Amino acid sequence: MKQRYYGLRREFWSMPDGKRKLVVLEEAIRIADQYMTESDAYDARMDYSSATLECGCPERLFISFSWCLAKFENNPGVYSSFSIMWHYKWVLNQIWRLPQFSLEQIEAVFADFERKCKQYGYTLRAYYQQKVNFLLSQGHLEAAAAYHKLWKETPRDSLSDCLACEQNLFGEYYFRINHLKRGMQTIKPILDGRMSCRSVPQTTYSNMIVPLLKLGEFDRAIDIAKKAFRSIEGPSYLPEYGVFMEFFTVTDMPKAVKLYERTIQLGLESKMPWDRFQYLLSVRLFLQQWSKVKRRKKLAESEQVTLAWLDEEIGTLAQAFNDRNGNDYMHRFIAEKEQNISRLVKKISGG
Amino acid sequence: MENMNFQVNLQGIIDLLSNHLYSDPGVFIRELLQNGVDAITARRKLGHQYEERVTVELFPSSHTLSLQDNGAGLTLQEIEQFLARIGSTTKKGDLDAAEAFIGQFGVGLLACFVVSDEIVLITRSAADGDSLEWRGKPDGTYAIKKLNNQAPIGTTVYLKAKPEYEDYFEYDRVSDLLTRYGQFLPTPIYLTEGGNEERINESLPPWKLDRAGALDYIEHSAYYKPMDAIPLHSAIGGVEGVAYILPYAVSLQDEKRHQVYLKNMLLSDKMATILPPWAFFVNGIMNTDSLRPTASREAFQENDLFFLVRDELGNCIKQHLIGLSEQDPELLKRIILIHYASLKAMAVEDEELYELIIRYLNFETSYGDMSMSDILSSYPEILVTTTLDEFRQIARVARSQGLMVINGGYVHDFELVRKLPSVSEDVDVSILDILAIANRFERLAGEERKALEPFRDLADALLERFQCRCSIRWFEPADIPALYTTNEEVNLFKLADDSEREANALFASIVQVIRQELYDEPFARLCFNYNNPIVRKAAASGDIELQKVCIELFYTQALLMGNHSMNAEELRLMNESLLHFMNRGLDEAVGGAR
Repeated sequence: MKQRYYGLRREFWSMPDGKRKLVVLEEAIRIADQYMTESDAYDARMDYSSATLECGCPERLFISFSWCLAKFENNPGVYSSFSIMWHYKWVLNQIWRLPQFSLEQIEAVFADFERKCKQYGYTLRAYYQQKVNFLLSQGHLEAAAAYHKLWKETPRDSLSDCLACEQNLFGEYYFRINHLKRGMQTIKPILDGRMSCRSVPQTTYSNMIVPLLKLGEFDRAIDIAKKAFRSIEGPSYLPEYGVFMEFFTVTDMPKAVKLYERTIQLGLESKMPWDRFQYLLSVRLFLQQWSKVKRRKKLAESEQVTLAWLDEEIGTLAQAFNDRNGNDYMHRFIAEKEQNISRLVKKISGG
Repeated sequence: MENMNFQVNLQGIIDLLSNHLYSDPGVFIRELLQNGVDAITARRKLGHQYEERVTVELFPSSHTLSLQDNGAGLTLQEIEQFLARIGSTTKKGDLDAAEAFIGQFGVGLLACFVVSDEIVLITRSAADGDSLEWRGKPDGTYAIKKLNNQAPIGTTVYLKAKPEYEDYFEYDRVSDLLTRYGQFLPTPIYLTEGGNEERINESLPPWKLDRAGALDYIEHSAYYKPMDAIPLHSAIGGVEGVAYILPYAVSLQDEKRHQVYLKNMLLSDKMATILPPWAFFVNGIMNTDSLRPTASREAFQENDLFFLVRDELGNCIKQHLIGLSEQDPELLKRIILIHYASLKAMAVEDEELYELIIRYLNFETSYGDMSMSDILSSYPEILVTTTLDEFRQIARVARSQGLMVINGGYVHDFELVRKLPSVSEDVDVSILDILAIANRFERLAGEERKALEPFRDLADALLERFQCRCSIRWFEPADIPALYTTNEEVNLFKLADDSEREANALFASIVQVIRQELYDEPFARLCFNYNNPIVRKAAASGDIELQKVCIELFYTQALLMGNHSMNAEELRLMNESLLHFMNRGLDEAVGGAR
């Protein structure tokens, strides 16, 4: 069985990111549970946790993380507090993406993380950062601004994201609250190539495309989109694919079609409500433009993915988030996005 | 307010640049060669007609090396402007002219400080008559003096080896380095020591040779016999080259090592990104005129032009393979046989190529390994599994039912099979639903089915705690009493169970939400085979207790046959039912003997 375990682990490393990769690791974990030590099972689950994010099934993170957290809590001396806290940060970044969790549940998880930060000697910088994300997702801009301030003021430590990631997120914050120029200024060190890491500048590029369009800097947007599009690959970039689909819908329809065909399967399989919502919203904007002209080509999955179906899916998801959040932010979000696109379409077809 | 300049620690900067910019001390040869060749190009531009040459001379007793060119040379003003200023270059001013030169950064000479503590340069400009000597040191100081003796037009650089670097000044080493970087440069390069003189660069580069010559070249220089040589050409990148198809399979993970020359001078022999990632079955050798190198000159700047060129080169390889299908289909077949992994990756991305090679590719099917053309010629209806595991569960049974099932569990195979209808109109491809496989088996007649209902209900009730539902059908082969099928999410659910049990209250509720709201419980299926005599006997037996034990044993045996992992409860069940039958058998034997 040990041999099968190591065989599966080997297979895992050589597979491309995707659901099948997770299935392999799930079997390995089962074997570790039954035939190996608890710390083997723990390590396998920790690897699995990071793979869930890369393989486009972030909802499975909760399953492996819960087990590891419990083992850590029972035996804090045996496992690294740093690793589990680092994973905990991922949990905070995912949990609000599911409207099935109540605000009380989410707040309780945030509170637990905060308590553990203090207990294990970390500053609250990472906590505040995640808090900003969570508040922005509900449209609470003022509360987010207060936490943004706390985030910047609290000293960095080993639990903070790397400098490049943080800079990128500071920029994203300004974009989200519509301070576009301020955001552009903030990400300048990244664009100048002075800060980078594994995920920066790719994520920066996709973050800045919509702001650039809003600012009317079309040439620059096209330039950046080219760079960015080359650098994103794999199932973990679903919302980003949406951003590009919208972008190509107004600038390069054939490319938008290609991207749609390449990613729609992934979008349909995605279980994470927030990511699914973002992606399908982009698909709808694409399909609305696409259907304006009579076409001979039939799109992939055209039986399932119709405008009516999208309206229904998007409506249900948005309503679920609104109900959970107790406001109508998601509807405002959709309206703003649609307005933005139609303005662009007018501008580009007019100019 | 007064504007101030930054103070720079020159020695520190020189140390930084010279020791950290380059990955290999040997690059000083490249930098010197390059300056020499560029100087000769510059003199040619002045309209001078003469016999161009670069001469490297070694003085082994003093570990000294000189490199002499008969190019344009430098005037006093040029020395001050360029040699003594880091980051400037003689080649910058005239943008059109810059195209003709290899270097462009003005940091080349710094590479010499890696191996030498002093650079001595003697030069006479083709434009004015003074012979000059310049001496530079790594602390940033230098001296210039006018020489009384007239030097020839051109520049000579003298370097004396630092301790530990003497071997870079030995004949074999220098000869190797000169060949490595300069073997395809058009300017004649000579290496001399004592009375001997050797010409370094007489051979034509492989991109100037015909196919036979290019194949010959690689066989003699790299010691392998490529399957084919593909000419590479990119007009926008000014690239000419050859891609050699390797005669052995390579792993997707291997680092690619393409040899890239910039204006005939070797830039890097381990460049991975110049060809598209799918092209890992070729080794490329190429020369470019217009791609821009990075400052260390060991890679290119990855700008838009770079990616355009890469796509153009990729297209050359693709078009060549398409051409082969007409001119030499046998060779194409052999290439596909060896490099199927790479070609599969290509075919997924590219329609044209897909159509070309799909029929040659082999797939694992319920009838064994088969080529797609054989599959298509005999089976209009194809089922494809999404995972290897699913395929293993049903391969044997599927074959007995006459079903053509292809294993889609290997990388790319699933996508490749799914695309089949785009090349063949008569084929019907569907994804195998592993849980519904039993629906394809023969149903029992109405009365028989009715009679078996109590047995099935008993099995359902017994196995519900294992999330397993039962059915009874007639299928081949008869020696399989029951087929257990499950989809890929079953392990995930077992993990979720464990997590829910172990986690603290807060996270237990979270896990519960995930499994209940986002996933459908995956029920496994156990299909009894009424074609199997023992199943028929068990179903016919009126003894409920005996039926129970039989069902438990059928279940655990089906798990074992399908390579499924068993939990503690299932293991216990297997033990108990086995012991039960052993006991029964023994009782009977002993009873009979009495």
